Amino acid sequence: MSEPAEQEIIAVIDDDAAIRLSCRKILAKSGFQVETFEDGAQGLEGVARLKAGLVLVDLKMPGLSGMEVVARVHQLDPQIVAVVITGYATVDTAVEAMKAGAYDFLPKPFSPEELRLIVNRGLERRHLALASRRSEMERELLKRRFVTFVSHQLQAPVAAIHQYLSVLKDLEDSEAVAAKRREWLERCLKRAEEIQTLIQDWLTLARLEGQGLARQRVKVDLRPIISGILASYEEMAAAEHVSLAAEMPESACLVRGDPGCLSVLFDNLVINAIKYNKPEGKVTISAEPIGEEVEVAVADTGVGIPPESQQFLFDEFFRVKGEAAKRTPGTGLGLSISKRIVAELGGSIAVESQPEVGSTFRVRLPAWREPASQPEASESSP
Amino acid sequence: MAAGIKVLVIDDDQDFRASLRPVLETRGYTVIEADSGEEGLRKLVEQRPNVIILDIMMESSAEGYGVTQAIKWQEAYRDFRETPILMVSSIEESPDERFPMASEVDMIRPDTYLSKPLNIPRFLEALEKAAAS
Repeated sequence: MSEPAEQEIIAVIDDDAAIRLSCRKILAKSGFQVETFEDGAQGLEGVARLKAGLVLVDLKMPGLSGMEVVARVHQLDPQIVAVVITGYATVDTAVEAMKAGAYDFLPKPFSPEELRLIVNRGLERRHLALASRRSEMERELLKRRFVTFVSHQLQAPVAAIHQYLSVLKDLEDSEAVAAKRREWLERCLKRAEEIQTLIQDWLTLARLEGQGLARQRVKVDLRPIISGILASYEEMAAAEHVSLAAEMPESACLVRGDPGCLSVLFDNLVINAIKYNKPEGKVTISAEPIGEEVEVAVADTGVGIPPESQQFLFDEFFRVKGEAAKRTPGTGLGLSISKRIVAELGGSIAVESQPEVGSTFRVRLPAWREPASQPEASESSP
Repeated sequence: MAAGIKVLVIDDDQDFRASLRPVLETRGYTVIEADSGEEGLRKLVEQRPNVIILDIMMESSAEGYGVTQAIKWQEAYRDFRETPILMVSSIEESPDERFPMASEVDMIRPDTYLSKPLNIPRFLEALEKAAAS
């Protein structure tokens, strides 16, 4: 469900009839619905009635000033984008208006191109703000319902298993049920695995919150870790018709860290890249030294992450809404675990993503440096 | 047997729907499945079921109550305001505990509230009663 209307209404409030007319003409040409008003009071009434998304308002008008209009528009709805139109002498006032909450200002005279640009940018920002407000609200709700949510996550698979088994038992004699037996038992196993993953993720998270997971800070070559992970998920990737590839340096790719933790970290990223991919998609994992760090990038050609969800991606239990999440089992914990591991190891993680194109997760880890005079720490396994 | 009685099962858990289907079909019910509140409302209008089985917690939490609210308040669903609803959830709370404000916001109260996993004989009994009403 998208809140921003298919066609946003733009209100133009200016006492100058020529400006009203030209704004209307220019914006209508770009397909916007434009309503014009000749003073602040009428304008405010119109904005409220029409639920305008963007307001272009002249600063200097008889009656309500543009500044007051901006303030009152935001009282109506802080997400309405206000752009102030101003003459040559009032740049200072325009800056004032921006401090008061206007999004931008448009100095007179302006070209059609300038007007279109500012309106498009303003609306884009409005859509992002609206989308992110929705996500914010969802996240708040999630926090408040934490207990309910957690118990639902656990209870749903238990209930499904329980119900399959009780129907199998109660309706043993029914042919319809007997025919489903094998399929249902397989579903029961799948759901039981879901519970196991959930419990494992929770335990990992709890340990990270407690004393931390990374016990060691040793010299680790990432190449064998990554090739090991790729080998172990080859089957899963093949089942999803996704190909896996590694682009690793010729020589050892050394970081300072905990081999066990690093495996968990890249496991999570590679699993996601496979799960949220598309048929015939690709997962590429590459590593290169950058200054004092090593950057590992896990790139996929999958469903991508909408911009408004990206800021919440590493939150506990956050899952991007939509078809992909529905199809794909997940606990919403994998990335928050990854983020904590990276933080514990003194690194950073970031994501770039474009819906329907793919996502790239970039992990930076401290490169291994030989201690000057200490005995060399040995490479060790978890 | 319940020949000709159409039951709409609205639940995002495919396993819940899958396990219920033969239980209902062997008793002669016709089963219509919907995996979201939105799809449920669409199928309600298209297929005009006699009884609705509705999950509370779907993708967006409490989506089930969104369905009951739509049925009660939106003109498009006015024909279905009397259609009996059996509400199911794995949450061990009655709607009163979970939604103390329910009466204020005028949500439709479910006719029957059952917890998951369903006790099959008790569920069938409740369904029969609802279908007869």
